[in-house]
Amino acid sequence: MLPLPADADHYTVFGIPRQLRLDQQELSRRYYELSRLLHPDRHGTASAVARDASMRNTAALTRAHRTLRDPVSRALYWLELHGEKLGSDNRVPPPLAALVFEVQEKLEELREASAKSRPALTSEIENVLGELEARRDELDQRMEANFLKWDEAIAQPTPLLADLKSILAERAYLSTLIRDVKATLAGDTAVARPHATR
Amino acid sequence: MDRVFGIDLGTTNSLIAYLGDDGPQVVADAASGSPLLPSVASFLPSGEILVGSAAKLRAAEAPLETIASVKRFMGLGMGDVKPEDRGCYPFAADSGPVVRFAIHGREYTPPEISALFLRELKLRAEKALGEEVKRVVITVPAYFNDSQRQATRDAGRLAGLEVLRLVNEPTAASLAYGLDKHHDGLIAVYDLGGGTFDISILRIHDGIFEVIATNGDTRLGGDDMDRALAAQVLQPGEDDPHLVRAALIAAERTKVALTDNEYAALELIAAGAKREHTFTRAEFEQFIRPVVERTLAPCRQALADAGLEAKQIDEVVLVGGATRVPLVRRAVQELFGRTPHTELDPDQVVALGAGVQAGVLSGRRKDMLLLDVVPLSLGIETVGGVMERIIDRNTTIPTAARQLFTTFMDNQTAVDFTVYQGERELVQDNRKLAYFILRGLEPQPAGLPRLEVTFLVDANGILNVTARDLRSGHEHSIDVKPSYGLTDEQVESMLEASFDHAVADVAARLLIEARNEGDGILRATRKALDQATDEERGLIEAAMARLETAMRTTDHNRIRDLVDELNQASMSLAQRIMDHSIKEALEHRRVDEVVS
Repeated sequence: MLPLPADADHYTVFGIPRQLRLDQQELSRRYYELSRLLHPDRHGTASAVARDASMRNTAALTRAHRTLRDPVSRALYWLELHGEKLGSDNRVPPPLAALVFEVQEKLEELREASAKSRPALTSEIENVLGELEARRDELDQRMEANFLKWDEAIAQPTPLLADLKSILAERAYLSTLIRDVKATLAGDTAVARPHATR
Repeated sequence: MDRVFGIDLGTTNSLIAYLGDDGPQVVADAASGSPLLPSVASFLPSGEILVGSAAKLRAAEAPLETIASVKRFMGLGMGDVKPEDRGCYPFAADSGPVVRFAIHGREYTPPEISALFLRELKLRAEKALGEEVKRVVITVPAYFNDSQRQATRDAGRLAGLEVLRLVNEPTAASLAYGLDKHHDGLIAVYDLGGGTFDISILRIHDGIFEVIATNGDTRLGGDDMDRALAAQVLQPGEDDPHLVRAALIAAERTKVALTDNEYAALELIAAGAKREHTFTRAEFEQFIRPVVERTLAPCRQALADAGLEAKQIDEVVLVGGATRVPLVRRAVQELFGRTPHTELDPDQVVALGAGVQAGVLSGRRKDMLLLDVVPLSLGIETVGGVMERIIDRNTTIPTAARQLFTTFMDNQTAVDFTVYQGERELVQDNRKLAYFILRGLEPQPAGLPRLEVTFLVDANGILNVTARDLRSGHEHSIDVKPSYGLTDEQVESMLEASFDHAVADVAARLLIEARNEGDGILRATRKALDQATDEERGLIEAAMARLETAMRTTDHNRIRDLVDELNQASMSLAQRIMDHSIKEALEHRRVDEVVS
C-alpha cells in the first residue's frame, strides 16, 4: 500500500463522486468497511513501508469522514473545493442585524444588572437564545434542501455558490453568537464579547 | 507467528497478558501466584535494585531510596511536579525539562524506572511460557498527552521491547469485557486508577469499538484518597518523609479495609511517633468526597462532546482499583442510572484488554477493530498568543491535518512554529509540545515560498510532523526541539549506560532489534512472493538474499540498510496486494449506493 496522493480530496478517498447530498448511513458503512481494510492494527506485523502507508491512508480516511459526515462541514469543504471560502470579516450578515442588536443590548444589560433584576433578564436572554437556535436549525434545513439544487447545477455554479456561501456565513455568525450567549449565561465573564467572531 | 503481549503499566501495579486459546490470560508470578507486580523500585546502597513486592516492603524503611507511583511523573518536567509530591521523592537538584531522581549518586528518569517493571514482566512471561517476549502493546491513560505517551514508548524501548502500539486503558478494558458479543450499543468506561482518571464513551458496531469521546485528569486517583485520609492523622506542616510515607501506606490499608467494613483502624508507627485512629466508612467518605466529585465534571464533558445524555448509555464498565470504593460505585450508578459492570477484577481488566488488542495486532483476532481518538486538541501559536486549533480533541486516530506556511521577510531562509496541546484559547494556558524549525529555504521574496506542514497523529496518539515544499514537491527537513521528554540521543545514551547487567552491551541490543526487524520483513515478503511478477521477484529475491547474509553478521547498521532496501524492492508488490484487497471489498458495492 502506498500513501494516497497528498492532494487527494475527501471524495476521492471514499471513492465517491463529488456531491453535496450524501446518504449518511451509507457513508458510515463505507467508513467502517474501509477502516477494517486500511487501519494500522490490520497491518501490525507488515513491513515498515506498508505500516506507514496504512497509517497515512487511515488518517486521510478519518479526516474525510469527519468532514463529509456533517452537512455543515461538508458544505464548507464544498466552498473550498470551488476555490471559495468564508470571509474573515466580522460584519453582521444583514438578515441577522436586528436580532444581533437585541442580543447585544440584553447581554450588556445583564453584565451591568443588579442581583435583583438578574433572574428576569436571564430568562429573557434564554428566550432569545431559543430564537437564535431555531434560526440556526432553519438555516440547516434550508441548506440541506438546496443540496440537490446545487448538485444539479455544478455546470453553472456561480450564483448558487454565492447562495451557499451566504447561508454558511450567516450560520457561522449565529453559532458564535449562540456560544457567547451560553457562556455569558453560564457566568463566564472572561469570554469574548458577543460580536467578536473568530 | 510470534505472539504479541499486552502490558498494563500501572501507577500502582503492572501486569502482563496475552491472548490464549480460551481468551485473554494474565501471567502470574511463579513464586507468589499473583499477576500483580507492584510498580515500585527500591535502590540498595550496594547497587542492587529491588523491583515489585520486595521494593514495596522497603518503601516505609527507605522512602527516599524507593520510588512508587512513578507514572505520575512520566513525560513531565520539574516545573509540573506538585508541591505535595516534592517532599516524598528524591528529586535531583538540577533536573529541568525531564524529572530526575537522584539515588546513591545516580540519576534516574521515570522512563528508566518504568523500564525496570517492563523488564521484570518480560522475564516473568518468558519463564512462564518458555518463549521470548519481543513485541508488546502497552496501555496508557486515555488522557495522557503527547509527552507522556512518548515517555511510555521510551520506557518500552529501554526495556528492550518493540512497542507495537500504545492503547488507551479504558478502551482496552472495554475489549476485555467482550461487550461486542452481546449487541451493538453505547458504553461508558469509568477508570479510576491509583494516579489517573479517565472516562471514555464508546460505540460498538459490528465488532468495531469506536471511541466517540474521552476526558479525564492525569493527576487524580486513589492516591489522592490515601492523601486525604493520611492528612487526618498528620499535623499540619509535618513533612518528615518517613512519617508521610508511613501515613500514606497506613491510609491505603485503611481505605481497602473500609470497602467491606463499616469501620477500620489506621495505625501509624514511624519516626518515633505512634498514632492510632478508627474511622467509620461515613467519615472516610466525607474526606474523599471532593476526590470523587472531581471525576464527575470530566464525565459530563465527555457526554457533551459525544452529544449524548447519561441515560442513553447502555453499559457502564468500572476499571481501576479505586472503583472498589463504595462511594465511587454509588456516584457512577447515580450519574448513569444503571448498575456498572464489575464482573472482571478491576485490577486486571486493563491488562486482559491489552492481551486482546495484542491478539488483534498479531492477526489472531480478525473480527475486532479499535478506533480510538486523540484526547486533547493540537494547535499552533498565532498572532497575539492565540491557539489556532489544527486537530480537535476526540478526532479519530490516525488523523492528519495540513497547514501552509510562508515567509514574512524577503530572503528569509527558515520558518519556525510551536505546537501546543490543550483546550484553552491562549497558548500560554496550554502545554507546549515542541518547537519546529524549517531550515534551508531558498532566498525568495516574502510570501513566495509555500511550505505545507503535515501534522499526523498516529494510532498511538503521538504527533509526527513533516514538511513539503509545494513548489518543488520535495520533502523538507525539519528540526524538532521537544519541550519535555527525552530526545532519541538521550534514550540511546541511557541504553548505553543501562543498569541492566544482563544485556549491558548496546551493540548487542541494537543487533537484536535489527535482526527482529529483518525477521519480520523476510517473513512478510516470503508470504507475498507468489504474487510477484517475474521482474519484481528477481529484485526481491536478490534483496532477501543480501539481507539474510547480513543477518548472520553482527553489523546492525548494515542489516538496517538492507531492511530498507528490501522494503524499497517490495514496495510495488505491497501496493498491489493492498489495492487488490481494497478493490475486492468494494467491488460488491456500486458507487451510486452511497449517493442518495
